[in-house]
Amino acid sequence: MSYTRDKKITLIVYFLFYYAVFAFFYLDDRLLSQYQPLFFTYNRDLTELILIATGLPRWMMAHPWTFTAADTLAFGLPAVLLAYALRKGRFSPVAGIAFGLFLGAYLLLADLFWQVHHEPFILYLLLALAWMTNREERFYQILKGCRYYFLYIFTSAALWKIARGAVFNGQEMSRILLVHHSDLLSGPCTSFACRTYRYLVDHPGLSYWLYLGGAILEGCFVVGFFTRRWDRVLIVLAVVFVVADLLLMRIPYWTLLLGTITLWLGSGQKPPRSALRLREKKIIIYETTHHENLPALLDLSEAHFSEVAVFLKELSYHNLSGQGSPERRWPRTDFFVQPADCGNRRFIGQLFAFLKRHRYSHLHLSTLDNNLLVFVFRLAGAGAVHLSLTVHEVNEYFTFSFRSLRDWSESIAKLCLHRLIRHYSFFLPAMLDRFQQKLPETTLVFIPSRFYAGLHSPPLFRATQPPFTIVIPGSVDPNRRNYAEVVQTLTLFLSRDNQSRESFSAGATLPNESSFSVGATLSNESSFSAGATPLIELVILGDSRTEAGAGIIASLQSLEGERFRLRHFKGYIPETIYEQELAGAHLIWSPLNVHKKSSRNSPETYGLTTASGLTADLLLNNIPALVPDGFIIPDPFRTAILSYRSPETALAIIEGMIRDPAGYHALSEKIHLAFGWISKENFRDAFTELMETIH
Amino acid sequence: MPRVLLIAFFVIQVLFDLGHSVTALPFVHYGMFSESFAPPDSLVVFEVSLDGRLLDAHDFRIYHWDMIQNPLVAFDRQTGSRDYAFDKERLRSGLHFIGAGSLYSLLASNLDNAPTVAERFPGWYKSYLSRLIRQPIHTLRVDKVWYRYNGVHFILLRKDPWINL
Repeated sequence: MSYTRDKKITLIVYFLFYYAVFAFFYLDDRLLSQYQPLFFTYNRDLTELILIATGLPRWMMAHPWTFTAADTLAFGLPAVLLAYALRKGRFSPVAGIAFGLFLGAYLLLADLFWQVHHEPFILYLLLALAWMTNREERFYQILKGCRYYFLYIFTSAALWKIARGAVFNGQEMSRILLVHHSDLLSGPCTSFACRTYRYLVDHPGLSYWLYLGGAILEGCFVVGFFTRRWDRVLIVLAVVFVVADLLLMRIPYWTLLLGTITLWLGSGQKPPRSALRLREKKIIIYETTHHENLPALLDLSEAHFSEVAVFLKELSYHNLSGQGSPERRWPRTDFFVQPADCGNRRFIGQLFAFLKRHRYSHLHLSTLDNNLLVFVFRLAGAGAVHLSLTVHEVNEYFTFSFRSLRDWSESIAKLCLHRLIRHYSFFLPAMLDRFQQKLPETTLVFIPSRFYAGLHSPPLFRATQPPFTIVIPGSVDPNRRNYAEVVQTLTLFLSRDNQSRESFSAGATLPNESSFSVGATLSNESSFSAGATPLIELVILGDSRTEAGAGIIASLQSLEGERFRLRHFKGYIPETIYEQELAGAHLIWSPLNVHKKSSRNSPETYGLTTASGLTADLLLNNIPALVPDGFIIPDPFRTAILSYRSPETALAIIEGMIRDPAGYHALSEKIHLAFGWISKENFRDAFTELMETIH
Repeated sequence: MPRVLLIAFFVIQVLFDLGHSVTALPFVHYGMFSESFAPPDSLVVFEVSLDGRLLDAHDFRIYHWDMIQNPLVAFDRQTGSRDYAFDKERLRSGLHFIGAGSLYSLLASNLDNAPTVAERFPGWYKSYLSRLIRQPIHTLRVDKVWYRYNGVHFILLRKDPWINL
């Protein structure tokens, strides 16, 4: 619960509704100055009677300029209140009281003159009490009172339908429709809506069920008097009610939805910190296919929680760990694998049922790229669970699109998720900064995909026997990687190879432009270039069965010869082989298209708004990596990642490593030392912040 | 204290709810079509024709159509109740009952609408409709029509010409 945030949200939502109401008054010619009334009516309301008795309505009709003044105040007074609140960060009680009194008077006058019907606007009056105080506890008392009132509106409507016997009248809805739409039905009645009303009038049995459904829906709100657990569901029911009211009764009751703010604020409220401490800490982690990002989370979770459960896909489970089974590596974790014949939504349902049954305190979504709305509904009913999410693509998380039904559902879901989830983790520090700008007042932490695997072993020095092995990991996808640059670099290498071979063995120094340069001179031990063995071996460590992949492989194969050979894979590469290949590499090359499109076509920038698998791959060994210029190199990886501007500079770095094994070994050792920082111990605090901070 | 106020608010709300023919803002009644409807003997409709063309609800936004109908309904009530004579009489007897009878005579003039309302209403309504539909109106005709629904058709029972300008 954040008073400042809740106050701001209430203020914004309230005045958005308020001005929308008055904007529609204007559009429908209902402002007092537009109506210019001729007489007033008696509506059996005591407050209205008092107002009539004061003589104000008569006086206003005698002085029509007062209607313009009233409308000006209706638009201007809240503007003053808002300006004060936004500028000073607190409310002016005087402006608040003036606004509340004025609004009450305006509604009374509007009802006297053109029968506004007060019912949906009572909450506008009651919530206006919140602008009259600057005390936190009073603000929440008012919000709480308004919430009860909102529940009361629906509950009392349901109770009256029972008490007055309407729900036991099988003809009820048919007659209501007949009377309510008599002006439509008595006319030509050619429209779809009118014919539907006519059909319902003529079929009382069917229309009765709609009435009964409405009464039951209203009755559901009684649950809100006993628990806040279903508040999000009640919001959905309120929207369903308003939509049904509009379609069936032609009553635009949307103004009533202002009350949903009272259900929204605080409904995702976490139990007090002390309560969370008392409750046993247990976490469920949900993962789809990005298993490479789980190891660090599991390491930290096992240290932090008494129980850890992971719900993941079969493929992820079998490839989670390159060495040994997941159960051996994380013995205190329970793995729940999604069988091939189990649909995603069913599996998600099982997760939430498990969460409730075993009272898990934490839920971390390691990947959330599909079924967003399903998660929103499930989370709404999940109760007091500490939620966190690993964001893979920052821009995508804030992109709203409405081109298809899926876009609509995901956009709505994202809006809800932004409110529901206040704890996020990222694979790169730069992503965290970008996210902070878009969603402040959230807990954001950097936790790498895995901790450095070589922590407890001496630095690995690869044999300098030829070939010099370069690995390009990841699926062969031209959207993500620029393979043309690889082909160009290798073509350049092969064309220059013959000319430079002699100088390699003559002790030449490293080229100055090489950012790899550690100042070492080439020694006679250099053997990458010895003999007739191919000098460079390129391993495409990803599925190359795609149409684009075939073309890329063909281009590379055309370069094969004495000095260059290619290995590539078809189909999914098991983690064991994947890790073996990386362990045998001298260099990881990630020819990323720095600016790429996300899975839903949002523009993303590698290193800034999204992370590639490179950072996970790097931490398996102490191998340097090559990336294109423009990739924002995260600090923890600065020693290991070398960038190039062009095929020429890429080649210079590669040649530098080939010519200078001593320099290469020194770099490996430096990487080993730098990665030593990426250990479980150094991320415990960040993880605790992610899992313990309460908003 | 706030809790007491909250409880008091709801107690008053429920009391007004129980006497649901009278309200006192902000204590209103949320019935939402909760009275058990008897089969209607007849259905009253105000048919409005502008320059010879009968207005159809489908051609207007919901509230726009309300603003065409509401003044007619309200005027019908105002004239039919002789400017709410019954309500004023109840107020007078109520004030008399609590010993504030003199207050009524003090306020009486504020309680009445101008005696010229009936005379001026057709012209006022024509002018308001003209502003609402955003075009000049040359002729206005309003008929008060009674229909009966026999389960298949709407049968015209009576048609009273009401306004003809």
